[in-house]
Amino acid sequence: MTQPLLTIRNAQKRFGNVKAIDGIDLDVQENEFFALLGASGSGKTTLLRMLAGFEMPDGGEIILDGKDVSQVPPNHRPVNLMFQSYALFPHMSVAQNIAYGLEMEKLPKAQIKSRVDDILDVIQLGQLARRKPDQLSGGQRQRVALARALVKRPRLLLLDEPLGALDKKLRGDMQLELKRIQHEFGITFIIVTHDQEEALVMADRVAILKDGKLLQSGTPHEIYEHPQSRFAADFIGVMNFFPVREQGGKLVAKDGSVIAAAKKLEAGQEGVAAVRPERLHLNGDAGENSVTGTVSDIAYHGLDLQVHLKTAAAPEPVLIRLTADIAEARPISVGDTVTVNWAARDTRAFAH
Amino acid sequence: MTDRKPLYLMTPALAWLTAFMVVPCLLILALGFFRRGIYGGIEYTFTLENVALVFDPLYASIFLKSAAIAGLSALIAVVIGYTAAFAIAAAPTRRQPTLLFFAVLPFWSNYLVRTYAWIVMLNREGLVAGIAAWLGYDGELPKMLYTETAVVIGLVYNYLPFVILACYAPLSRLNPEIAEASRDLGASAWTTFRRVILPMTVPGIATGFVFVFVLSIGNFVTPALLGGGNFQMIGNLVYAQFLTANDWPFGAALSMFLIAIMMGLLTLQTFATERASGARRED
Repeated sequence: MTQPLLTIRNAQKRFGNVKAIDGIDLDVQENEFFALLGASGSGKTTLLRMLAGFEMPDGGEIILDGKDVSQVPPNHRPVNLMFQSYALFPHMSVAQNIAYGLEMEKLPKAQIKSRVDDILDVIQLGQLARRKPDQLSGGQRQRVALARALVKRPRLLLLDEPLGALDKKLRGDMQLELKRIQHEFGITFIIVTHDQEEALVMADRVAILKDGKLLQSGTPHEIYEHPQSRFAADFIGVMNFFPVREQGGKLVAKDGSVIAAAKKLEAGQEGVAAVRPERLHLNGDAGENSVTGTVSDIAYHGLDLQVHLKTAAAPEPVLIRLTADIAEARPISVGDTVTVNWAARDTRAFAH
Repeated sequence: MTDRKPLYLMTPALAWLTAFMVVPCLLILALGFFRRGIYGGIEYTFTLENVALVFDPLYASIFLKSAAIAGLSALIAVVIGYTAAFAIAAAPTRRQPTLLFFAVLPFWSNYLVRTYAWIVMLNREGLVAGIAAWLGYDGELPKMLYTETAVVIGLVYNYLPFVILACYAPLSRLNPEIAEASRDLGASAWTTFRRVILPMTVPGIATGFVFVFVLSIGNFVTPALLGGGNFQMIGNLVYAQFLTANDWPFGAALSMFLIAIMMGLLTLQTFATERASGARRED
C-alpha cells in the first residue's frame, strides 16, 4: 500500500479535565471520502479542528504528506475547512468570498478570476456571483462555502456537518453532489457527521468515535454488517437486541430459547445477540433462529412496513421490516401472533 | 405595517419629544431670523443678518476649530475605545460583563467632578507633574492645563465609555467561525482583522465616532474648565450669546447650524449602519 495522505498517531487533546481526544490512530488515503461519525461530545469536531489547525494536540502526531503538521497554524496548512455555520463573509459578494483564499496566495488577478469563474460553474451559481450571502438560500450558501474551500485545491478538505442545516430532500441531493464533486476534483474529503445514514451513503470509509476514542473504522459495508461492539451495532442503523447468557456452548435468551450466532461468547458470559430488522423473515425456512410474538404496532413507511413484535425473548419489541410485496402477500394486523426466522450467519453476539 | 399598536405605544415618547425637543428646536429656528432688540430681547422683524454673521470669518473659524477638536477627540476615542472593546470581546465570556462594568464605571460619576479631576491632574503642581518629578524629571514640563490638548484629553476621557459600548456590540456579535474561516483560507491574523473583522464592525466605529464628535462639538463645559477661557468652542459662543451678550437671535442662528451639523452626521451614520447591516446579520 502507498503511503497514506494523512496519518494521525496517538492524538491527544484535553480541555481542563475532559479528554476530548484520547489516543486516536487513523490513516486516510489519497482521494478517499472519509467520514468521522459520532454523537455530540464524541470528539469528532475537536479532531477535525485539530486537522484544520485550530486546536493543537497535547500529544501525538498529525502527519500530512509525510510531514508532521500538528503545530502548524491554520493559514500555513494545505488543508481547508468548510464550517458548519458556513462562516461566509457577510460584507463580501459570492465571488469575493471565493476569491479571498486565492488572494491570500497572492495569485495574479487574471488567474484568480478564471478559477473563481470555473468553480462558480461547478456549483452552478455563476448568475449569483454578485449577491451577498444574506441574499442566498441555505442551499446556495452551502455551495458557496464549499466552493470557497474547494477553490484553494487543498490536499485535504474538511467538512463539518456540511449538510446539517439543509432540509431532508436537499440533503439527499447534496450527498450525491458532494460525492460527484469529490470525484471530479480528486481531493481527499474528511467529513464530520452525526448522521450515520449520511456517513454510509457518502463515505468510502467511516470511523466511529466515542468519548474521544476511535471505536471502529472500515467501509460502510464492514461497519454496518460487522460491527465490533454493541455501541457500534446500535449506533449504525437499527438493530434488534436479545439479552443472552452463554450456557454449554449455546446462547440462551431470557425465555429459554436458544439463539445461534456467527460469533460465540465465552463460557458463562452474559451479553446480547443482535440481528438487523431486514434479516428477519416470515417464512419458516429462513434460518436456524426463530422467535414468536404478538404484533404491537405497524408503521407504514411507503417503501416498507415496520412491524413491532412483543416477545418473551427481548425486553424491547422486535422490529421487522417487510417490503411492500411481502406485506401484500401476507397481510398482518395488530394483535396477530407471528413467528419470524433468521439465519445464524446474520446474528452477532456482543459481551456486556 | 397595518398593525397600529406600535404607534399607540410610541405616543407618550412622541408627545414628550414633540413638546420638549421639536417645539424648542423650531422656536430656536424661528428666533434666528429675528432682529435683536436694542436693549437685548427680540424685535420681531425678519432678517437674515444673524445667519450671515455665522459665516463671518471670526465665527466661521470658531466653527472649524470646534470641528477640528471634536474630530480629533472622536478619532482618538475610537482608536482607544475600539482597542478596549476588542480586548473585552476577546476575554472569556463570563468575565466580559465585569470588564464592561469597569469600562463604563467613570460614566456614572458626575461630569463636572470628573472634569475638575483633570484640572487637579494636569495643573502645574498636579498629579502628572508629581509623577514626572518622582520619576526624576526635573526640567520644565510643557504647559498642560488650559490648552487645547487638555480639552481634547477631557473630551476623549468623558466620551470613551460610549465608544467602548458602541464598538463592543458588533465585536461581541461576530461569529468566531468567520475569523477562523479567514485564517483557514490563508490569511494572517492581521489580514483577518483588516479585511474581515474591521469591515464587519464599521457600524460600531461610525456610531462611536459620530457620538463623540456630536457631543464634543457642542460641548461648553470641558472647553470652559480645561481650556481656561483661552479659546472658545462653538458651545461656549452659543452660551455667551444667550447668557452674557444677550443676543438671543445670533445664539439661535449659531445653534441652528450646530444642530444641522449634528443631524447631518447622525443621518450619515444611520445610512452607514444600514448599509453595513448585512455584516451583522447571522443565522
